[in-house]
Amino acid sequence: MADAVYVSIGGRSDPLVGLKDLFQGLSKVQLWLAFAADEVQQRYRRSRLGLAWIVVSYVIFVAAISIMFGGFSQKGASEFTAHIAVNYAFFSFLIANITDGCAVFRTSKNWVGSMPLPHSIYVLKSVARSLFVLGITMIVGIGVLLATGHMMTPISFMALPAFLIILLNAVLLQTYLGYLTARFRDFEHLMLSLTRVLFFVTPILWVRTEMPEGSLRRIIADVNPLTHALEILSAPLLGHAADPLSWKVISIITVVNIAMMLIASYLAHRRLPYWL
Amino acid sequence: MTHIHNSEKKTLKLAQLRPAPSFVVADKVGVTYPVRGNIAQGIDTQSTPRMIRDVRGRLRGVRAISDVSFTLNEGNRLAIVGENGSGKTTLLQVLAGILKPEVGTLRVRGRITSLININLGTQIEATGHRNITLRGLAAGYTHDEIEAKREEIAEFSELGEFLSMPIETYSSGMRMRLVFSIATAFTPEILVLDEWLSAGDVSFKEKATRRMIEFVEKAGILILASHSRKLILDNCEICLWLEQGVVRAMGPVLEIVNAYEADQRAKKTNPDAPATLLRGAN
Repeated sequence: MADAVYVSIGGRSDPLVGLKDLFQGLSKVQLWLAFAADEVQQRYRRSRLGLAWIVVSYVIFVAAISIMFGGFSQKGASEFTAHIAVNYAFFSFLIANITDGCAVFRTSKNWVGSMPLPHSIYVLKSVARSLFVLGITMIVGIGVLLATGHMMTPISFMALPAFLIILLNAVLLQTYLGYLTARFRDFEHLMLSLTRVLFFVTPILWVRTEMPEGSLRRIIADVNPLTHALEILSAPLLGHAADPLSWKVISIITVVNIAMMLIASYLAHRRLPYWL
Repeated sequence: MTHIHNSEKKTLKLAQLRPAPSFVVADKVGVTYPVRGNIAQGIDTQSTPRMIRDVRGRLRGVRAISDVSFTLNEGNRLAIVGENGSGKTTLLQVLAGILKPEVGTLRVRGRITSLININLGTQIEATGHRNITLRGLAAGYTHDEIEAKREEIAEFSELGEFLSMPIETYSSGMRMRLVFSIATAFTPEILVLDEWLSAGDVSFKEKATRRMIEFVEKAGILILASHSRKLILDNCEICLWLEQGVVRAMGPVLEIVNAYEADQRAKKTNPDAPATLLRGAN
C-alpha cells in the first residue's frame, strides 16, 4: 500500500473506475460493516424497544393487511397471509434500496469530503443496513411461512440465487442513483414520489395471477420490474417455481444496471466531491 | 516453485522494512469549482479573473487554484500561506486525494493522513472510542492494530473519560485533540494539516509540535497550512505563498513568511491599492 503511487491526471477518468472502486470497497469489509452497524444503532438509540421496532412494525403491517384485504383474494386466509408476509418483507427491502440509494452519497458528505475512500464503501454500508433489516423481518416471515404450512422443499432453495442477483442489483442501483442524486437533487424527490405509488402498482395487496389476462392491473404488474424481482424471490418460498418470464426480465435488468453503474461512475466518480 | 515463493516473500519483507521513499509531485495542478443555478449579481460587478462566466455573464465556476507546481521529497516540511480564499484548503484537499485536479497531474507515493476540516470525517453521534475505531478502519488498519494504539491515542489526547461520550458533546478543541491524536498515532508517511490545529490550547500545541517534529524526523512529509507565524516557523522549512489561487512565491520559510507579512501590512495601510501595484513594490 505504501509503495503504490497515487497518480491523478486532470480531467481524465478511467472507463472501469466503477468496477475498480467496487472491488476496493469490497476489500474494506470491516469498515462498511462498522458504518452499517453504527447507523442501525443510531436509528434506534434511546428507544426502549430498540431493534425490536423492526419486528413490531412488520408484524403490525402484515396482520393489519391480512385482516383488511384477505377477503379480496381468492386465496384462503392463511395463504394470503403468507403471500403478504413474504412479499412485503422483500418489497420493503427493494424500496429501501431505491430511497437509500438516492441518499447514499448525499448523506455521506461528511466522509467523502475528508478522506479519499472508495465510493462503494458508502453503497455497501447502505445495502448492508437494508439487508440487516430484511434479515430480522425474514426471521418472522419464515415463522409465518411455517405456521401457514409452507415447509422447506427443494424448490425453496431457488430463492438463494434469486436473492444473490437482487443483492448485486441493489449495489449497482444504489451506486448510480446516488451519483444521479448528487448531481441532480430533484431526482431524489421524484423517486420518493414514485415509490409511494409503487406500493399500489406492485402485487402485494393483490395477487398478479388472479387478475384477468389483459386487464389494466395485470399489464401494470407485468411492466413493473418490482413484480418480477418479487416473483423470483417469493415464489420459491411460497412453494412454487418462479415464472421463467420474471427470471428473463431480471437478467435483462441486471445487464442494464451494470451498464448504468459503469457509465454513471465514469461520468461522476471524479466529480462527486465537487457536487456534494 | 517453493524456493521462488520463499525468495519472493523475503524481498517483500525487505520492502516492508525499507519502504520506497515518499514524494509529492504537483505539476500545473488546477481546480475549478462548478457553480450551479443562477447566482444573483451582487453590487460588485467587477469580477476577478478567478470567476468564470458564460456568454450571458452568469457565474459558472470559480477557479480555486491554477497552475500549482512543486516537488516534495522525504523529510520536506512545507508551509502554505495566503489570505482567506486564496486556495489553501483546496490545495490541501487535492494533495490529500479528496479532490481530483481538473487540470495538471498529481503524483504521490506514501500513506497520506489528512486533517483538513475538523467537522468532517467523524461520526458525531458516536463516542470518542468508536471514532478511534472508525477512523482507524477508514485509514486501512485492522481491529487488532487499532486496539494496539488505543491506549496511546487516549493518553495523547488527554480526553480520559470523555472518550466514552458522543463527540457531539465535545468542544472544538477537544475534537481537534482526538482527531490529531488518531491521525498521528498510526505514523503516516505524509501528513496534511489545515490551520485548525490552532484550536488547541498552548500546552497541546507544544505537544503537537513535538509530535510533528518526531514525525518529520522519521522522514515523513509534512504539509501545513496556517496563519500562525510561530507554528509555521517551528514546523516547516519551505513555504508556498498562494495568492488568488496561484503560487506567488515559494522558497525558504523565513524569507517567504516575511515577504507575505510585509505584503499584508502594506495592504492594511493602503487597502485600495490594486494587487498588481503591491506586487511591483515588493
